[in-house]
Amino acid sequence: MGIRDNLQGLKARNEMALIAFIMAALPDENLCLECIKALEQGGCDLLELGVPFTDPLADGETIERLHHRGIARGLNLSRGLEFAHKVSEVCHMPLIMFSYYNPIYKMGLDTFMQECKSAGIDGLIVPDLPLDEMQVFAGFDLESIPMVAPSSSDERLQMAAAMDPAFIYCVSVRGVTGVRSLPEHEIQAYLQRVKSFTTAPLELGFGISRPEQLQAFQGYADGVVVGSFFAQLIEEYEARPALLPGKLEQAAAGLKAAAKA
Amino acid sequence: MYPDPKGYYGRYGGRFVPETLIPALQKIEKAYAEIQNDPAFSQELAYYMKNFVGRETPLYFAPSLSKMTGQARIFLKREDLNHTGSHKINNTMGQALLAKRMGKVRLIAETGAGQHGVATATAAAVLGLKCTVYMGSKDMARQSLNVFRMRVLGAEVKEVNKGSQTLKDATNEAFRDFIQSFEYSHMVIGSVVGPHPYPMIVRNFQSIIGKELRIQFQEREGRLPSHIVACVGGGSNAMGVFYPFLQDPVRLIGVEAGGIDIIDGQHCATLSEGSDGILHGAFSRLLQDSHGQILDTHSISAGLDYPGVGPEHACLREEKRVSYVHVSDKEAVDAFLKLSEMEGIIPALESAHAVAYALKIAGELDAKAALVINLSGRGDKDAEEVISYLGGENHGN
Repeated sequence: MGIRDNLQGLKARNEMALIAFIMAALPDENLCLECIKALEQGGCDLLELGVPFTDPLADGETIERLHHRGIARGLNLSRGLEFAHKVSEVCHMPLIMFSYYNPIYKMGLDTFMQECKSAGIDGLIVPDLPLDEMQVFAGFDLESIPMVAPSSSDERLQMAAAMDPAFIYCVSVRGVTGVRSLPEHEIQAYLQRVKSFTTAPLELGFGISRPEQLQAFQGYADGVVVGSFFAQLIEEYEARPALLPGKLEQAAAGLKAAAKA
Repeated sequence: MYPDPKGYYGRYGGRFVPETLIPALQKIEKAYAEIQNDPAFSQELAYYMKNFVGRETPLYFAPSLSKMTGQARIFLKREDLNHTGSHKINNTMGQALLAKRMGKVRLIAETGAGQHGVATATAAAVLGLKCTVYMGSKDMARQSLNVFRMRVLGAEVKEVNKGSQTLKDATNEAFRDFIQSFEYSHMVIGSVVGPHPYPMIVRNFQSIIGKELRIQFQEREGRLPSHIVACVGGGSNAMGVFYPFLQDPVRLIGVEAGGIDIIDGQHCATLSEGSDGILHGAFSRLLQDSHGQILDTHSISAGLDYPGVGPEHACLREEKRVSYVHVSDKEAVDAFLKLSEMEGIIPALESAHAVAYALKIAGELDAKAALVINLSGRGDKDAEEVISYLGGENHGN
C-alpha cells in the first residue's frame, strides 16, 4: 500500500497517522531493523528513513549527532538504499527516504529514482530543497513531500498545495529538528491556515514527543512525525540492546493510542 | 549581468535551504533592493567606510618585488590597512547597516580565520547590536588572538567541535541558529557563498575594492592593469576586486590553497579540483567524495580552509573569464616571508597565496605588464601558525 492509500485509510477511520523517523543502519544494521519492527508493532503507520550526511544543517542536536555517527561508520546514500531493501523485507509501512540533496545530485536523479523504486521506497523528503527547486523530482513515479513552516507566506502555502502532494509536512517550530515547540494555539492557528489552501493530509513534525500533544492537534493535523524523541530513546538504550525494541514499541504504542482517541 | 532573478550565475547559485528559511531570505532580498536605491543608506555606509574603516585603501607600487622578478611592475591593493586588518569589514559594515534597517537586534556570523568574526563583532559594537560568532575548535586553537579580539569587542564566541571543527561546521551551526532566530537576528555571511541573495550582496559590498582600484590605477598609469591576482577561499576579496573588471581586457587570476598536496583531505583547491554539488545553500563547485559527502580540507591558512566556493566563481571558471590556480602551504609561507622582508608588509597567509602566484608568473611577463595583487589582509594573526610551520620544518632539517 502506498502513502496516499495508507493516509486516506487512516483519515476514513478518523485516526491520526504516526510517522516515525529513524536513521538508517544505526546503531548497527540488525539493531536498526529490530527497532523498525518494534515501531511498526507499536502502531507506526509510515517510516521515514534518514541517510547520514556530513553537513545536516536542517537538523538539531540529536539527529545531527546521528548523522555524524553514520558518517563515522562510512554510511552514505548507496548504503542507505541497500538498507531500505532490507527494511522493505521486514516491514509493511510505506517507506519515505529522507536525504539531503547533494548525495542525490551526485548519484544522478535517474539512477537514484530507479534505486528507490527497486528498494521499495514510496516517497522522498529532501530537507534542503525548498518548494522552488522541487520540480526536479517532477515526472518521476515517487511521492515528493513538501515542507512548510509557521513563517511560510500564503504564497508558499499555495505553492505546496499546487503540487498535489501525498501529504504536506508541517514543521511545527521555527527551527531545526528537536524536541521543542511553539505554543499549542499558535500551531493550531497555523495548521488551520495551511488547511485553507489544501485537501492534502497535514502531518505535523519537529517537537512531537508526548501523547497529549497528539490530542491537542486532533482535528487540526492528520498525523504527526516523531523523530528526535525516538532517537533519544535509541541513544539511551543502545547499550542495552535487548531492552531497546521493547522501549520503542511501548513509546510508539503510547503515541498511537492518543492518535486513535 | 548575474545573478538572474532566481539567484543563478549561469548554472550555479540558487537557494538550496530548508523551506523554513525561505521567508528570511525573501525579507533580506526585499530590504536589500530598497537600500540599493536609497541615497541615505549609501551616505551612511560611505561615512563609516571613510571615517571608521579608513577607506580608501592605498594602491602601492612594490619596488623590490618588481625589481626581483624582472620587467613587470607589481602593485598591491592594500586591503590589509582596513580597520580590523582585512577586507572583511567592507561587507560586515554593509550587512550590519542592512540588518539595522530591517529592525534586527542581533548578528550571527561564521568564521574560519576569525577575520570575518572580528569584522562582524566590530560592526555590531559600533552599531550597538548583539553578536554571536560560530568558530570551529581547530580554528579557535590556531587563531586565539582573533578569539580574544571578538570577546573584547563584546561578541559571544561559540565553539563548534563537530565534524571537521573548521569553517564548514561553524557555517552549519550559524545556519541552525539563523533558522531559529531570524525574527530578530541577521546572519552576516562572510563570503560570496550561501543562498541567494547572499553571494550578490557580499559581492556588491566588496566591489568597492575593484571600483577604487580602477580609479586609482587609471589616475596613476592612465590605463588598466594587465593582471589582477587574488586568493580564493569562499572568494569574497577576489569577487570584490574582479567584479568591476569583468568586461575589461584584464587577466583575472584566482589563487586557491593547494595545501600539503593535491590529495583528498590535504588541500582546498575547490575550483581547480572539485565538482558540481550543493553545500550551504548554493549549487556550486565543491570537494566531495563519490557518494556526495563533503570532504575534509586542509590549508595552513584557516581563512581558505573550506570545501566550497562562491557560485559566481564557479560560473566565471566555466565561462573561462577567470583562471583559477593553486599554490601550496610551502609556497604561501615563502611568499609571506618574502613580502615581509622585501616590502615591509606582513601579509595574511590567505593573501600570501596570491603573492606566491604573482611572484611565480611575474618573471615571464614583459615590461608592459602591470600586475595588481589584492592584499586582502595583514598577517599579525598568523604569527603562531607560521612559527609552528617553520619550527616544524627546521626540526625536520
